[in-house]
Amino acid sequence: MIQKKICMVGVYGTGKTSLVQQFVHSVFSEKYHSTVGVKIDRKQVELGDTTVNLVLWDLAGRDEFEDIPMSYVRGSAGIFYVVDGTRRGTFDQVFDIKHKVTEAIGNVPSLVALNKKDLVDEWRLGQGDYNTVKEEGLYAVDTSAKTGDGVEDAFLWLAQSTAEPKP
Amino acid sequence: MTDDLDTQDFVSNSDPPEPEAEDIPARFGELRKLLLGGEQKRLADLEKRLEELEIDPEELADHLPDAVALRTNRDKQLARSLAPTLQEAFGESVQRNPQHIATAIFPILGPAIRKAIAETMAGFVNTLNRAIEHSLSIRGLKWRFEALRTGVPYPQIVIKYALVYRVEQVFLIHRETGLLLSQATAEDLEGQDADLISGMLTAIRDFVQDSFGKAEEGDGGLRTFSVGERTVLVEQGPKALLAAVVNGQHPASLLERLQATLETIHLQFARTLTDFEGDSEPFETAQPLLEECLETVLSTDRPSTRGSTPIVAWVVIAVVVIALSALWIRSVVRWNGAISALETEPGIVLVDADRGFFRSQITGLRDPLAADPNQRLVESRLDTNRVETRWEPYLSFDPQMVTERARRSLDVPATLEFEVVGDTLVASGSATYDWIEYAQTHVNLLPGVGTLDLDNVDPVLPADLDQFRQDIENRRVLFGIGASALNGEAQELISHIALIFAELAAAAEESGYEVMLDVVGRTDSTGSNETNRLLSRERARRVRVALIANGIPRDVVTATGIGSSDQLAADDPETRATINRSATVVATITYSPRAGGNQ
Repeated sequence: MIQKKICMVGVYGTGKTSLVQQFVHSVFSEKYHSTVGVKIDRKQVELGDTTVNLVLWDLAGRDEFEDIPMSYVRGSAGIFYVVDGTRRGTFDQVFDIKHKVTEAIGNVPSLVALNKKDLVDEWRLGQGDYNTVKEEGLYAVDTSAKTGDGVEDAFLWLAQSTAEPKP
Repeated sequence: MTDDLDTQDFVSNSDPPEPEAEDIPARFGELRKLLLGGEQKRLADLEKRLEELEIDPEELADHLPDAVALRTNRDKQLARSLAPTLQEAFGESVQRNPQHIATAIFPILGPAIRKAIAETMAGFVNTLNRAIEHSLSIRGLKWRFEALRTGVPYPQIVIKYALVYRVEQVFLIHRETGLLLSQATAEDLEGQDADLISGMLTAIRDFVQDSFGKAEEGDGGLRTFSVGERTVLVEQGPKALLAAVVNGQHPASLLERLQATLETIHLQFARTLTDFEGDSEPFETAQPLLEECLETVLSTDRPSTRGSTPIVAWVVIAVVVIALSALWIRSVVRWNGAISALETEPGIVLVDADRGFFRSQITGLRDPLAADPNQRLVESRLDTNRVETRWEPYLSFDPQMVTERARRSLDVPATLEFEVVGDTLVASGSATYDWIEYAQTHVNLLPGVGTLDLDNVDPVLPADLDQFRQDIENRRVLFGIGASALNGEAQELISHIALIFAELAAAAEESGYEVMLDVVGRTDSTGSNETNRLLSRERARRVRVALIANGIPRDVVTATGIGSSDQLAADDPETRATINRSATVVATITYSPRAGGNQ
């Protein structure tokens, strides 16, 4: 069986754990739980006629005291960056995080999930930001862990990218 | 070379060159030769050796064995590098000509097979011993009982009490990605979600390494940690980790074993591990290696110091078994005895006999005249309280039952014997006339009896009538010589005879008999026959008259004089003469149902 390690990376409170919960268990909880260290979950997806076992490393979010521990990121086949679309700061920081990750493990298939899309009134990102993401060489997807919009597409896109032969 | 340039600089600075241009190279070469002759020669030698450095096969042949030995002593690298080549060479050789290899390994095949069989057998015997010990020792029985009581499988109870250690799960984890490559789980355990465990193990290891500072590759790092009763041992290799979940106190040898397994895996899967892209399929072949690490060690596997316990247990068990067997055999013997007694009992037919542990059941048919079956059970020493019996009544045509039934319903006298021949009841012996008459008219009422054969039956008088008859006939009315007169004694005797007759007549009438009396007169042998005949007739007549006078009906009694023709016998002549001067009464009793009686 094909297995792929995917890391969920981003600033604290952007919804990394919620995205995993939505994708793996199809549930959403309004309660906020801060992830300590790392949580590991797993989901099988079908890509064409191959079954891929995604091992999802849900890393603790970055905050002012703690950076993302790069040892957890090592060995990842893909990186799932998460941004909180209602908090601009999380968007700005994600590129810094991305540079550190690339420094540690090189270029691997990655995407940026612009999460919490359901909070339309509080949305703080504009067209310019989408262009920025594109310029950074990242693929952006709007997601909502609450409604599930875009979640599966995002994970499947990343899974598909990791399964493609390396350029 | 640097020295050379320095020298050149030094020369040109201290001694400025003369303008004779054509001489300069030659002189310069001279100078170089003078100053650097030795070095130049060494350089030339080195150049020559460098050119010769292409490996000379002969030299290699000389050094190769030493080189191999040297490297083999140092580490296992040579073996590792050669292994794939050797494998390929071996495969190639077998493909081309299997005969060579077959011939070569033939001598070692036999012993190897024998050894394998011997080891398997030894293992089997060992397992058997263990099983016997587990099931028959007191401790084993206790465990069995607990397993029964709690519903927990027996092996788990054994593990609970006797476990020294048990390797429950082994994971082979890719070091960089933390992905699970292969895993093995002990037989009766449910495997946890191995994917997540392997990821978490890697994360924990990374966390520990981050927290306590990066250790050098290959050593340090997280080696063991405990969760409740379980210990997780982590062996690290350059490309993969081997993690074992152990329940109980593991020996140090287990770590060595994990290490060896991990090394083997690195050797066998070197290429696959390096090129790992998430496909764990090639590592399926590593699973047997992991399974070898799964082991369960119980304290019962170790030599027991309490050797006496099993012996005591054996003795106790043997005694109990013998006692139970004896009881059982006794009860079987008694039961069989009772059953065969019932089977041979006339008038009883066994339909079903079911011997149970606590209660037994017997059902069958029983002729009402048959013996009491319960009595038979008691005679066979069976506890009748624990036997439930049900007997349906029926009529048996067993000869004994037919006879018995005849005896009862015909009121057969004891003097008769019966035999059943077909449907004929053959009687022999003696019976009274009235019984014979009765039996002949009633035999048709007997089930199972067609005819009654009475040819061999002597008809006799009923005992009481016969008694009266004898009583009458034994009495003699005596007379004087030549006399026929009845004296007082004679009169008295006659009246007594009349009394007896009255009783006889009454009894006879009751059972349908008729009594006739004949008075027989006698004389002694003296005198003429004619005289004697007349005298005897007179004597009889007088007695008859006297009897009639005493109430006996006239037509019942007759008188006959026989003179001295039929003398009564006596030893001395005088007594004989006396007893023959007499008259006696002969009573003739005939069966005459029409005269009345019990018909």
